[in-house]
Amino acid sequence: MAGTVDKMRLRDGTPLKDLVRIDEGRIAARVFTDPEIYELELERIFLRNWVAVAHETEIPHPGDYVTRWIGEDPVIVLRDKDGNIHILLNSCSHRGVEVCRASRGNVSQLVCPYHGFRYKLDGELASIPSHKEAYDGRLDKTKFNLHRARVGIYGGLIFGTWDAQAPPLEEYLSDMRWYLDLLLNRTEGGVEVVGAPHRWVVDANWKTGVDNFIGDGLHTFMAHRFAVELGVLPEDPLIGWFGYHISVGKGHGLAMVGAPERIPLPPYLGLPQELWPHFERSLTPEQRRVFEKTGTIHGSVFPNLSLLNTTTISTEEGVPRVPFLTLRVWIPRGPHRMEILSWFLVEKEGPDWYKDASRKNYERTFGMTGTFEEDDTDVWISLTRANRGLYARRHQVFNYEMGLHREPRPQTEWPGPGAAYYGDYCEANQRCFFQRWLECMTEV
Amino acid sequence: MASAFLPPADPLYQQVIVFLYEEARLLDNWRLEEWLALLADDIVYVMPVRVTREKNQGSEFDWNLYHFEENLASLKTRIKRWETQFAWGENPPPRTRRFLSSILVERGDRDDELKVTSSLLLIRNRGDAPEVSFLSAERQDVIRQTSDGLRLARRLILPDQSVLGLESLFIL
Repeated sequence: MAGTVDKMRLRDGTPLKDLVRIDEGRIAARVFTDPEIYELELERIFLRNWVAVAHETEIPHPGDYVTRWIGEDPVIVLRDKDGNIHILLNSCSHRGVEVCRASRGNVSQLVCPYHGFRYKLDGELASIPSHKEAYDGRLDKTKFNLHRARVGIYGGLIFGTWDAQAPPLEEYLSDMRWYLDLLLNRTEGGVEVVGAPHRWVVDANWKTGVDNFIGDGLHTFMAHRFAVELGVLPEDPLIGWFGYHISVGKGHGLAMVGAPERIPLPPYLGLPQELWPHFERSLTPEQRRVFEKTGTIHGSVFPNLSLLNTTTISTEEGVPRVPFLTLRVWIPRGPHRMEILSWFLVEKEGPDWYKDASRKNYERTFGMTGTFEEDDTDVWISLTRANRGLYARRHQVFNYEMGLHREPRPQTEWPGPGAAYYGDYCEANQRCFFQRWLECMTEV
Repeated sequence: MASAFLPPADPLYQQVIVFLYEEARLLDNWRLEEWLALLADDIVYVMPVRVTREKNQGSEFDWNLYHFEENLASLKTRIKRWETQFAWGENPPPRTRRFLSSILVERGDRDDELKVTSSLLLIRNRGDAPEVSFLSAERQDVIRQTSDGLRLARRLILPDQSVLGLESLFIL
């Protein structure tokens, strides 16, 4: 009908549902590059889902804050005097100037540098200069607080959402909590963020990172082939195959990769033995059973949080490999650009030698200058660049068929929740992500 | 007030300048094995993460997490990776140009060492993109005099950006 907008179609008439054809394993290239789709994502993905912004250990004291992003909206994540955490839009209620201008620090209140509006740490408007005279005593101050996002915390990880209708975080994460516990709650004290996160900007669509981390086992063999050439990874095209690829549901997924029988793997990713008693106390027998045989965990939480716990390579000849844990968010910065914000985390109870070695391994392999990281960002930039043209946007369709006909393993073999497929050369998780993506994009 | 910095006419100052220019040239030309030979065996090569802070809220540098936290062995691993056919981020090779200025040299803590600060502008271009990305930083080096010539013993890189605008960073 003339004059009305069909929210289920793009402007050129393409139905949104045609972009993602899960049953056939097909996803249109333009999903990664079309500016119109990107604009819809800001509304339909980033305004409606729980988005990870920080970890509690980044703001341990009252008044501590960090500034972060939900979609393209800047937010302040802070802890008030009572220890409660708030997520506030970093925009003064009067004229919208940022009330927080650093990326981290400690404050007793938030003050706008433009006209001096002051806010309490929970976002409530506390005072306006010359309030009585300026507003003739008639302003209802209660209507001009900072915008507050809902706050949810799991395993110390802080999520925010603008959507009052969104389910509680626990329900949103759902079965993914069973796996997040393996990373964030495997010791009584949990994990802590070390230092400030790495932050850098890459000319690639934000979903390239999610898509890779959630289930791309196959790329290890080629994108990270240098590790094979250096003799660190085996010369075997199946190096990334041996493990479980788990579509958890609701757009979440992960893989727990091990090794073939002939290659002995240290238990629990090679985490130091000092930590093992903690696993006994903090994890269930089923969780320990699968965790013990794992060498790498990679995954993503819908929409833009990814996780990686692995040993990669020895970065110094003759020095043993030590595992590290990184979480990162792929922050949208336009259809063809993202900011990567990458945290390094470690168990609070970990021995000092391990904390040191783990940090260095992260920095050297998956930090901003990391050898593995560089391989990944290079191909993500390339795919974003190659599919921006009109022909590619109309006609290029990506193949997501891997594992399409594979059956999940029974509960007796895999005790964790979700559909667990054997072999991490599989795209079930990517399909799980894009299925949820399509649901969000068409829930209008 | 007498300056602690060596005057530019000092032969030692001139040696340091030539050393730094030569080092930058080796890196710009990917002559990495030759570059390694300029490093002391006990080299400490670090670049901390920077954060944006309000004035008077402490250092902007985070001394808990680094972009580089390297020694000779880990730098060698990076270069070994580069030497394979599969360092995708460096193939085709990015073009880099290192501009050094404001070089100040003073005596170090040891008799055979010099403390050198300099400003670095690294310009990086890749593929057929006309745009460049860049990183600017202060470098605080310790350069050691040895019987084989000058060697880099310590490099601290203090970046001017908290969010880096480079897609990747190999060696500064």
